[in-house]
Amino acid sequence: MSKRVLVVEDQDDNRQILRDLLASVGYETIEAHNGEEALVAVRTQTPDLILMDIQLPILDGYEATRRIKAQSDLRHIPIVVVTSYALSGDEEKARAAGCDAYVAKPYSARKLLETINRYLT
Amino acid sequence: MKDGLVGVDLRPSLRTKLLAAFLIIEVLLVSVGVIGLLSLREADQHANQVVALQHKIEAYRQVQHDTLRQLYGVFTALAFPNETTLAVALRQINQFGYDLDRVSFVAKDEVALLNQLREEYSRFIAVVSHVVDLIRNGRAAEAKQSELAELGPLADKLERLTNQLVNRAEADMVTGIDASRQTYVRSQMLVAAVALASFVLTLVLGHAISRSVIDPVRIIHHGLNRIATGDFTQRIEVPNRDELGELAAHVNSTCEELQQLYQSLEEASRHKSQFLANMSHELRTPLNAILGFSELLLDGIYGDPPEKMRSAVERIQRNGRHLLGLINDVLDLSKIEAGQLRLTLADYSIEELVSGVYISVESLAAEKNLGLRIAVPLGLPPARGDERRLAQALFNLVGNAIKFTDAGEVRIEVEAKGDSYIFSVQDTGPGIDEADQAKIFQEFQQVDNSITKTKGGAGLGLAIVKRIVEMHGGRIWIESRLGHGAKFSFLVPARLEQQAAQT
Repeated sequence: MSKRVLVVEDQDDNRQILRDLLASVGYETIEAHNGEEALVAVRTQTPDLILMDIQLPILDGYEATRRIKAQSDLRHIPIVVVTSYALSGDEEKARAAGCDAYVAKPYSARKLLETINRYLT
Repeated sequence: MKDGLVGVDLRPSLRTKLLAAFLIIEVLLVSVGVIGLLSLREADQHANQVVALQHKIEAYRQVQHDTLRQLYGVFTALAFPNETTLAVALRQINQFGYDLDRVSFVAKDEVALLNQLREEYSRFIAVVSHVVDLIRNGRAAEAKQSELAELGPLADKLERLTNQLVNRAEADMVTGIDASRQTYVRSQMLVAAVALASFVLTLVLGHAISRSVIDPVRIIHHGLNRIATGDFTQRIEVPNRDELGELAAHVNSTCEELQQLYQSLEEASRHKSQFLANMSHELRTPLNAILGFSELLLDGIYGDPPEKMRSAVERIQRNGRHLLGLINDVLDLSKIEAGQLRLTLADYSIEELVSGVYISVESLAAEKNLGLRIAVPLGLPPARGDERRLAQALFNLVGNAIKFTDAGEVRIEVEAKGDSYIFSVQDTGPGIDEADQAKIFQEFQQVDNSITKTKGGAGLGLAIVKRIVEMHGGRIWIESRLGHGAKFSFLVPARLEQQAAQT
């Protein structure tokens, strides 16, 4: 059974990139457009990994990460934060929210896949 | 503070206050002078009185003297009766008359005694004339008889009267001298008292003026100093309701305007930073999509691209990355300018930092067939600082070196010096004119020559490097000669525990 990755990202194009990238290595993609949708999706579809953008409408990535990691039955799901906030302090904030890995945009597709694979194999 | 009365300004102006103070001081000076003059006049009157009394006494004495001489003349005429002695006795009568007239002239006030004196004198003179007549007629015995019986007692009477006058004048004189002394003491005390009062009053006035002028000036001065240091919150409190009060009020209203201006500027600056941050995010989002898709294309996710297409996509990717670098530079610099960039201090390995930079520029150097060398001493202890920012600084320097060097090599070197590390990047490029070396660390400044024109760039890289190094409390410098390459070096503390103050 293929692994399921939840992509939390509000930009269509970026979702498409991740979808294509994940599909190329045989991962199933489920999608959420904001933090709130992500909270629902993570509970109903139980992904194996979450790719989380930070700047999201309604509920941002930091808060979504924090809420997911606060639930004991969901805490084990690895969260990789993907952000274009390439400023100093962002990685610390993401780590503080409880994410497992941090990838700054622009990411190299290969590098991102390496990070994902670290958690899924 | 505005007056309630419309059109009537009851506030004493500073000019009025000063004029009033000087007027009071002048009045005091004039009154001291007037009191002095009055005292002098009184003293003069007393002196005149004393002199008049002396004249009186002199005149009385003269009358006494005349009486004696008259008696002596008569005696001489009796003893030696001839024309000469008789003439002397008669002449003496005339002299006596003059002197008596003088007495009545200098002692007009002694009317009763003078009348008595004149009566006695007339009698005396009559007897003298009678005796002289008897002697002239050869009746010496009768003359002697008359002289003894009348002349002696009359002379005694005259002397008693004049003595009485002298005594009275002397008594007046003593009284006058006493009064003069009293006047002197009184005027002395009066002048001293008025002078002392003037002195005290002048001091009080001087103090009041200095309080009402100097104190507010000092307060306003302090207020202006505070404003100069950028503190617009305080207001100047001056009790004056004069020109200085108005000045303070003006300073306060100007300060208020400055405060508002300052706040709006601060707000504008915040908006600018926020705008830049938003803008950069907005710019990066589509750019990330472009870079992401081109990478997927190159990775063959959508099938292997033909060679020509691959080359075109590579160009898209290269230019996209360049654009992203520029956007990041603008954002970094604006964050540094706004003081919003904080260093993230942690331990790091010099070796790893340098090799990280090496890996990311390796392909750039290889493309231009440039040598890329590293010289880092082995076994350096862990350093402390913002690794990502220092790597960015070194990357910018190495990137520049590769960009501007067409042949030869780029050499990255690290040297431990005391408590600091010196990172340096040396190239075999065109070098930089000494005149241009100072300019290159300023933002948007590039050495203006044909070489840089062909290389492009926004001129932000070195400015960012300089700021990052300065935030670490370090410094950056360049050694270069035109045509002989350039060596950029920066020194940072080996272990930075606290971010340096930004300048």
